[in-house]
Amino acid sequence: MFLIIGFRTNVEGVLLACLKLRQLPDAHLVYAKDLEELRRKIDFAGVKRDLEHVGFEPVAIAHLAEKAFGKHWYHHVNHSCRKEPDLIHYIDLVLRHAKCEPSELVRNLSSSESVTSLYSGKTQLQRKCYRYMREVRLSYHRLCMFARPSFVRGILTAEIKPEHRVEDMFCRWLAKKNPDLPVAVVHGDKAWIGNGNFIGLDRFMVVTSSFLGDLTTVKKSDDVEDLWDVYYDSQMIDSRRNKKQAKKFQPWSASSASGMSMKDRYKVERGISPCKLGDFFEM
Amino acid sequence: MNYVKTPGEAHKTLTERMHYLASGTKYDSCNQSAVCHAFAPDGRCIQLYKTLLTNYCSGECTYCPNRCARDTPRVSLSPDEIVKIVWSFYRRNAVEGLFLSSGVIGDAENTSEKQLEVARKLRAQGFQGYIHMRLMPGTPKYLLEEIADVANKFGVNAETINSIDYSEVCPNFDYNKDVLQRLKWTKELIIEKRKEAGYGGHVIGSNDTQFIVGAIVEPDRDIIQTVGKFMDKYDLRRPYFMSFDPVPETPLEHNDPSPQWREVRLYQISYLLKDYGLKAKDLDEIYTDTGFLKDQDPKVLLAQCNPEMFPIDINNASLQELLLVPGIGPVSASRIIQARPFNCEQDLARMGVSITRARPYIKIKGRYQTNLSVFMEVCS
Repeated sequence: MFLIIGFRTNVEGVLLACLKLRQLPDAHLVYAKDLEELRRKIDFAGVKRDLEHVGFEPVAIAHLAEKAFGKHWYHHVNHSCRKEPDLIHYIDLVLRHAKCEPSELVRNLSSSESVTSLYSGKTQLQRKCYRYMREVRLSYHRLCMFARPSFVRGILTAEIKPEHRVEDMFCRWLAKKNPDLPVAVVHGDKAWIGNGNFIGLDRFMVVTSSFLGDLTTVKKSDDVEDLWDVYYDSQMIDSRRNKKQAKKFQPWSASSASGMSMKDRYKVERGISPCKLGDFFEM
Repeated sequence: MNYVKTPGEAHKTLTERMHYLASGTKYDSCNQSAVCHAFAPDGRCIQLYKTLLTNYCSGECTYCPNRCARDTPRVSLSPDEIVKIVWSFYRRNAVEGLFLSSGVIGDAENTSEKQLEVARKLRAQGFQGYIHMRLMPGTPKYLLEEIADVANKFGVNAETINSIDYSEVCPNFDYNKDVLQRLKWTKELIIEKRKEAGYGGHVIGSNDTQFIVGAIVEPDRDIIQTVGKFMDKYDLRRPYFMSFDPVPETPLEHNDPSPQWREVRLYQISYLLKDYGLKAKDLDEIYTDTGFLKDQDPKVLLAQCNPEMFPIDINNASLQELLLVPGIGPVSASRIIQARPFNCEQDLARMGVSITRARPYIKIKGRYQTNLSVFMEVCS
């Protein structure tokens, strides 16, 4: 039988499509955010084949993962000290990559005999998906390291421009880090709100960024930033600086995450300017 | 006993005092890369606010900028002020934790009580970040136990490798009693707290300590042997090395500074002990006759000293053998084992191997890089 597997682009959908593809290796894969989009895609292609759609109903993910990769699917693959994410997080991270092609991910999963092979990079597809997973994780880690939220009308707000779709992950992280405050993560015209219960909203929700008001009118520099500069500058001994290591810790690509981190990176590049009034008198 | 404020201190602003006390910690910043950092359980690098509680100190450590005999502005931050600074940095996500050290205010007990007060205040206000406390030699056991409840990591600096050297550098303290005994207690407390916390509890970091490198003549071999001994005996996970930099108006002000590369090489060796499964005695061949390190990658030196072990067949080698190859780290070694067999160098490079460094030491499908001695053998 010639079949099309239509799956939803979430972890459940990917796992179900993977199981289906193992049964029907010749099937075509079509993915969509919801049933509506799937129907549109199928109609547009004008194909008359049997369509089996999966992942559009809620299912227990752990059960699916066990069915696809056995009962040890959740065992973390550890490469020495580096702890790799488990299967579910792996799929979630790959799906967030800006260049991710969900059908490729499904083919990768269905052709991988064990969970460990997903992390080994034996085939080209495994390597690609593994790289996507690492890139998304790095992008998220860098946001956690370099984004500097500030208070906007009582909400701890961070404006970010991530390469991949990690806004909600970062918002949840920020909300967990500051459980006593409402937090917001703004990217373009969307805003993710965490701990929204403090301002009469759902605990976690997505709104339009205009909901938070005009962010450009907010004063960006403040006392904390000045205090940070004092601290940052106090830590350096010019003669003992390991510039190579410092650049690794504050990569250029991540410095644009906030004004504060950009300033820190500038100091890594150019050193700390001694042009202060005190220095003038001391010279 | 409380410290007494000097008249000058009263006129210093919070920013000025913060600057003095943060500067007081810069001499032991490992690797001088950025501000003090640590690694979170998920592998993320996190920045810390590193400060002294005070630079008043009753100690006479010969290398230290805060030694009591030195004429330097003395300032302090109150626990509330530190808590305030930590929160403001934490909210802006500039830091994810605090590294708190201090000068000795009277005695170790009094100082540790003050440090504990800071940590307690932070936790009472709901602070969930990372707290690392650098404790004073001689901190009483009951305080260590209380600190273990609120801090994620805590430890005492060993500074030197034996009691004779220690008494020369830190004359006010006893190496065996004030340092080694505390390292032992810390190890026991970490085991106990980890059992209590289990999964989901607050993270308890492993035992750590710091050595000053170059303040007195201590061969690198002896430092590494001590690190190895501490790893076995006190579950030391990560040693820190602080390059000696002469501080004006201290007894060691005319000594030469320790070269930065020495600190870097010592860190590289500590990783070989920590992550590569090597023991201190395995590295005996890489030192000079006087027991010092050369400014070369210790793993390359080790490979050069054991040419009979190479080239290693990538497709058959054990994990331990792969780890001995320069350019192959624990992550790439474990990925190689999962992805074998390999047919060419390009495949290996995709596993994260540095091919340029590894090439002279590996064999793929019977092919390996020749060298002068093999060439001479063939010619003869």
